[in-house]
Amino acid sequence: MTAPAIRVEGFTKRYGKRVAADGLALTVQRGEIYGLVGADGAGKSSLMKAVAGVLAFDAGTLEIFGTRVDSARSAEQVKQRIGFLPQGLGLNLYPDLSIDENVDFFGRLRDVPAAELLERKRQLLEMTRLDSFRARPMRQLSGGMKQKLGLVCTLIHEPELVILDEPTTGVDPVSRRDFWAILGKLLEEKGVTALVSTAYLDEADRFHRVSLFHEGKVMGEGTPAELVARVPGTVALFRAEPQAEALPRLKAAFPQTEAMGAWLRVFTEGLDAPHARSAVDKALVGIQPDDWFAREPELEDVFVAMLRQRGAKLESAFPADKRVPAAGTDLAIEARGLTRVFGDFRAADAVSFTVPQGEIFGLLGANGAGKTTVIKMLTGILKPSSGEGRVAGADMRSAGRAIKERIGYMSQAFSLYHDLSVVENIRLYAGIYGLDDARARRRSDWVIGMAGLAGFENDAAGRLPMGLRQRLALGCALVHEPRVLFLDEPTSGVDPIGRRLFWDILFHLSRREGVAILVTTHYMSEAEHCDHLALMYAGRVVADASPEAMKATIAAESGELVELQVDHPVPAQAALRAAGFASATLHGRAVHLLSRDATTDLARLPGLLAEAGVTVQSAALRPLSMEDVFVQRITALEAADRRAA
Amino acid sequence: MTLQRIIALAWKEWREIVRDRLFFALAFIVPSMLMLLFGFGLTLDVENLPFAVVDHDRSAASRDYTYRFISSRYFDFKGQASDERQLDALLADNRIRLALVIPPRFGERLARGEAAPVQVLIDGTFPMRAQTTQGYVAAINSAVSLDNMAGALSAGRGIPLAEARARVQPVKLEVRYLYNQSVKSIWSLAPKLIMLIMMLSPPFLTALGVVREKESGSIFNIYASTVSPGEFLIGKLAPYVAISFTNGLILWALAVGLYGTPFKGDPAFFALALLLYVVCTTGLGLVISMLVQTQVAAMIVASIVSIIPAVLYSGMLLPLSSLAPGASAIAHALPPMYFTNIVVGSFLKGVGWQALWADMLVLGAYATGLFGLGYLLFSKRPAS
Repeated sequence: MTAPAIRVEGFTKRYGKRVAADGLALTVQRGEIYGLVGADGAGKSSLMKAVAGVLAFDAGTLEIFGTRVDSARSAEQVKQRIGFLPQGLGLNLYPDLSIDENVDFFGRLRDVPAAELLERKRQLLEMTRLDSFRARPMRQLSGGMKQKLGLVCTLIHEPELVILDEPTTGVDPVSRRDFWAILGKLLEEKGVTALVSTAYLDEADRFHRVSLFHEGKVMGEGTPAELVARVPGTVALFRAEPQAEALPRLKAAFPQTEAMGAWLRVFTEGLDAPHARSAVDKALVGIQPDDWFAREPELEDVFVAMLRQRGAKLESAFPADKRVPAAGTDLAIEARGLTRVFGDFRAADAVSFTVPQGEIFGLLGANGAGKTTVIKMLTGILKPSSGEGRVAGADMRSAGRAIKERIGYMSQAFSLYHDLSVVENIRLYAGIYGLDDARARRRSDWVIGMAGLAGFENDAAGRLPMGLRQRLALGCALVHEPRVLFLDEPTSGVDPIGRRLFWDILFHLSRREGVAILVTTHYMSEAEHCDHLALMYAGRVVADASPEAMKATIAAESGELVELQVDHPVPAQAALRAAGFASATLHGRAVHLLSRDATTDLARLPGLLAEAGVTVQSAALRPLSMEDVFVQRITALEAADRRAA
Repeated sequence: MTLQRIIALAWKEWREIVRDRLFFALAFIVPSMLMLLFGFGLTLDVENLPFAVVDHDRSAASRDYTYRFISSRYFDFKGQASDERQLDALLADNRIRLALVIPPRFGERLARGEAAPVQVLIDGTFPMRAQTTQGYVAAINSAVSLDNMAGALSAGRGIPLAEARARVQPVKLEVRYLYNQSVKSIWSLAPKLIMLIMMLSPPFLTALGVVREKESGSIFNIYASTVSPGEFLIGKLAPYVAISFTNGLILWALAVGLYGTPFKGDPAFFALALLLYVVCTTGLGLVISMLVQTQVAAMIVASIVSIIPAVLYSGMLLPLSSLAPGASAIAHALPPMYFTNIVVGSFLKGVGWQALWADMLVLGAYATGLFGLGYLLFSKRPAS
């Protein structure tokens, strides 16, 4: 009997006093794509580094292909059979070397004979469509290309096990899908085992089996379907007006209630669809739900439920009150033909949109699409080449301090001072915005209460867990009670509980206090929380609608989403593409595709695939996600660009 | 150990250094630039001191006295001043460093054989320069006095002036400066600058080069592969040693060609010593890079551990014999002092193996020790 690729038991890793991994156990069989799913600091990287033999650990046993790895010497014995891609997009590559030179270096480092290196390099670069950029220095590659080059360099010595640490973090959805497709194909062809981590829960269905990580512990292990089945229940999606009253009532009965733009999303644990309906009706006390949809829960719902079972709290910091929601019809943000030209590059090209007071507006787009340029022009940091940006009625080109003080801004990097305590950070921002002492004290208390920082007041900001740090940064941006809030990629790396609390705060701000919020994100699941979205591509706004409207447009244009569970996903995908389904993509053991005539296709596809020797275990319609929308839109635009070129 | 992997590592490193603008400048431009800046800027010779005179006497004797200063190459006459108040302004503005005030009746008193005071004002902001200046003034003054005495003696006794001079100064000093005949400070400085710059540049380059990989995460490519620590260190550091050695030769050429420093020793011996020293200082960079995690920390640590020994404990500015016993012990514990012995010996004294074998031995021990330490500190499976 062959030993499993990886066997881990009781794995414990400490950094000083901090426990990064606490008694982890998992087994990865050969040929599996195994996923480690969890937030930053959950212990994924520590485990992956230990498996790659590049990190010593404190306790537990680790076996790779049956070899016990417990010392630098034993780790050395299995390294030639392993490929390791560390975390950080393209960071392990050499920016001044070209694609060719990078691959050659990795090949020589791994003793790949020259002739084989040439052939493998040709194959891999062709497959990743990097072959036409061979001479380009790595630093000039886009995020998606860096990621693919990283993969090529990791695979160049044909390892039997690849360890990929968050390969898709920081990459836009289109490149991410492309990456999964290439990875799935490569691994299947070469029979390679893969251990891959991700912070995106919605990527879990790319894996054969996954472990859910949380704070150094494994919360559950199994196939994505098995994990979802751990906590049975129904997700109800509906509208209920007035939303601001319905939300607290529902929250009291169902802690896992979220507002998604104009919609409400409720996870009713342990209830099937009809029971969920009656339970929601009961909780709403007289408010009538409209547009009711009942769905199967997603992994994130289940994960949050598991965390709640272990004591995680999802309580809103804002108790229900009688406050009348601020009626907002005034325009908070107006972009009118905003254009910014750098040399002959149009970073923003005639960008127009409006955000009324009290709305959460999402600006989506890949890296380099122009999101940050637009935010900079709207906050007055960057002068537009033409067009104007108005915030709270004032032109930002000439806005004085008074206007700027009505704006709150929270950057990607959570601009906190890590060596200052929580209170000191808040007081610093209060001082910067010129709050008097009494108001500073009042706002400081508000921030601490709102962000759930009670008990952490005197801790250094740098030592807070990610979720708290993020809410502290949000609090600092809100300390002067701005009417307009700009958030640049606010939730990267935060665990699901933290994300929910964060969105709960944003929802409260927009609905109860009438604050207008502009969020940029490439977390597609977050985009669903927004009231309205603008999708940017190459500096332009290419779609501007509510999330539901965007999904409806895509469904009308390209079809509905069909999921096929099959026994051999790679040939299935090939057969489907050959049959004209260009959208067929791999998701673990399943294949997704868009169908314009779903009823007919659901009936005929099993037969079509049987001809290719693939058995369909199940076929079902799935709701389109924002990621599907994004990928469809952007790939269509990219294709149009290529035709034009 | 496979040569192919070492070559792959070294080749990759070389290309990165050449293509990264910062590294390129640090590797190829900074050392020569430092040599030029220090060489022209750090001249310790005191010459052409600007000075002014207030002559209240306006006699033949006072003009004669003043002329002795004007004709000296150590002084640069800026003119007569009308009174002391004007001198204050000139000194405060740094337009002069020195002033002579000749009182009324200076010539008359000398003629009568009385003592005649002359006031000398010296800018004391730079003690070393002030003392040197005072030495020059005293020397010219005593020459004038001797001449006056000899003149009086010759006139009074009717003996020839030369004989009168010999009687006035019966013991005459015959000084010959060895190794640096014209006592030019640049001759002594230029070789020591090679020591200084080769102590600064290689540790910086090496520490930044290795820590950069730690910071970016590309070091994991090494950790995760089967490359042995020895292969990695050799491949990674060979380009730095080669570049620094070449720089050392360029500095040697500058010292000889540009500053005209004589090189009297054995070039082959010197080249070997230079190589040993460069390996030594590269090893220092390696050890630093093993102890820190960020490039900023690497820069701070490298500047502290290289500049202080190279400037204070090397015999560059102060002769080692004038150091206090504690400081002298520190100097003996650090490599720059030994290489200073070698450069000074090779350039000015023309000595080689016979005189300097002990210094070579110490440098060799250092190089071995630092690389050994770097090797031990390097772990492909660290704890964090």
